[in-house]
Amino acid sequence: MLSIKNLHASVEDKDIIRGLNLEVKAGEVHAIMGPNGAGKSTLGYVLSGREGYSVSEGEATLNGKDLMEMEIEERAREGMFLAFQYPVEIPGVSNMEFMKESVNAVREQRGQESLTAAEFLKKAKEACKQVQLPLDFLKRGVNEGFSGGEKKRNEIMQMILLEPTLCILDESDSGLDVDALQVVADGVNSQRDGERSFIVVTHYQRLLDYIKPDYVHILAEGKIVKSGDASLALEVEKSGYGFLGKKYEGETA
Amino acid sequence: MSQWLEKVIDVAQGNQDFLAPARQQAVSKLQQAGWPSQRAEQWRFTSLAPLKDRAFTQAKADTVVSAPEITGLDAIDIVFTNGELTTDLAALTLPEGLRIVSFAGANAQQQEDIQTLFGRIKPERHVFGQVNDALSRQGVMIDVADNIEISSVIRLINLSSVDSDNHTRALIKLGNNSKAKVMELGQGEHDSMNTAMAEYSIGDHACLEHYRFAFYTVNAKAVGGSHFKLGEAANLNSTVVGYGSPLSRLDIDIWHAAENAFAKLNAIYLLAEGEMFDLHTCIEHAKPNGTSEENARGIIGDGARAVFNGRIHIHRDAQKTLAEMNNRNLLLSRRAMINTKPELEIYADDVKCAHGATVAEIEGSELFYLLSRGISRQRAMVMLNFGFIRELVNDIPNEAIAQWLLPQLSERFARMEVK
Repeated sequence: MLSIKNLHASVEDKDIIRGLNLEVKAGEVHAIMGPNGAGKSTLGYVLSGREGYSVSEGEATLNGKDLMEMEIEERAREGMFLAFQYPVEIPGVSNMEFMKESVNAVREQRGQESLTAAEFLKKAKEACKQVQLPLDFLKRGVNEGFSGGEKKRNEIMQMILLEPTLCILDESDSGLDVDALQVVADGVNSQRDGERSFIVVTHYQRLLDYIKPDYVHILAEGKIVKSGDASLALEVEKSGYGFLGKKYEGETA
Repeated sequence: MSQWLEKVIDVAQGNQDFLAPARQQAVSKLQQAGWPSQRAEQWRFTSLAPLKDRAFTQAKADTVVSAPEITGLDAIDIVFTNGELTTDLAALTLPEGLRIVSFAGANAQQQEDIQTLFGRIKPERHVFGQVNDALSRQGVMIDVADNIEISSVIRLINLSSVDSDNHTRALIKLGNNSKAKVMELGQGEHDSMNTAMAEYSIGDHACLEHYRFAFYTVNAKAVGGSHFKLGEAANLNSTVVGYGSPLSRLDIDIWHAAENAFAKLNAIYLLAEGEMFDLHTCIEHAKPNGTSEENARGIIGDGARAVFNGRIHIHRDAQKTLAEMNNRNLLLSRRAMINTKPELEIYADDVKCAHGATVAEIEGSELFYLLSRGISRQRAMVMLNFGFIRELVNDIPNEAIAQWLLPQLSERFARMEVK
């Protein structure tokens, strides 16, 4: 599904990703952990095509297609979904209009008919209930005045509606209390169907108690330095990121 | 001098009705001042060339045009067609406490009432206000008694369907502790020249919900004005929407004539290819403890031009004034233009006054968010641009009016190309 080979990427001429390799197959859940500044968020942005992030070397393909040759919206239509760490507030564009527009753009790509307003409303209401947001959140401006937890749940709602093939969750646990974390994790788990793949980016092991990964990778200074199964996350939780070198001593996971 | 203005003065001198003294004064001022030069600050960015040598024409209102229907709106309509009052006021059923009188049909007492309002609120500096003073034989006075709430929206509609000169006037007196909603709507596409001026006297603790829609497009020329005087603790909530034409200008004046008054003004302009629109606003804080909030937002299409001049004048006595003004603009092409100018004159020392003006492009992070969900760049630009206008539409207190306005604006916007 996703294949990343020797990826190098920079932001404003600063190298952040330095030779990253990752293979994600259909249905797998990969967790990427790492200390602050490791390049965790950069990876999500590079893969989704954010402007200002340039790739100098290596390649990344999604379903065999070169991601770097695709526009941002084409990557999304190809099935990539990035759940933002800091979802953007867009007052004046309603959540409903936004999601309907995006769902239909993705459907068009897949050769499916556009949903009518009524069909979409029905789906949206179900998704809204699933992430335990009040229905009036559909009418409000995109993320406008939402709390941190509500924004994260809104991301998961979009993920449910868009039915992507690859989901990248960028620190979807940050700033959440246990209840909200449970809702986010339940939303993600409900979408695990053996086909859909996930990359769960997180600083803390806690999220992985709720979303069980098949693989855990430790990202430091722009590359994966250690890979293992779920037990690696527990190890990091116990001993912190100190094993990465002196400058990470005392940084907990 | 301009050929058009000479004819205006000619015609005005034949207007011998009960307002003749006021009209004569206006004529003298016009004669003295002459045609505004392009160097005049008021007209620096707005060319009067489309009007200067226009032939002054008065047409009979024999063409039938219908006023726009607003679904779900309970309205009392007063229609001027090509400059003539075509509503039979006597046939209107009016709620208790509401009186509507035409200038032509006013009895002696009503004429006196009209004289006490006519030209008393509209500032003298407006050249086209003088033109309207001189020519507005067609006009109405709307009078709401004290302690009355009128639930219907009183619509003052100016329709122009032929090449004519249309100069109408409205005088609105809202009694103490009363509430009313007034919409001024002007529309036309023909080569007409329209000055529709309204003066509002809002009583103590009275509340006015106001709309002004300047929908003059294609060949129609218009210079209009809504001028408000606020009594003690009066409340004004006004929404202005302007489209553009070769010459379209609106002056909004809000005068805090007593303490504790509150004024909110939201303005939207949406200019398609080649259009121009000029919004001049002036808020006079003459007394203490007044509040004003002004938000003007515009989207300017290819080769279109907007002018925003927002003046706030805080007089020496107007301590504890809170005044905020903000103007945001989006230019859709490199050939789109905005001249925006905040103008603050503050003589009181204990006030809070803020202003801002931006000429924006789309926020990169908002655009990325939409793109990352598969929405095309072009569609995302439309959604984001329009979202910025929609915020003000969402702020409209009357749901039926907002629902009527939104599709119109969005349709107009959809036709404007992002270049």
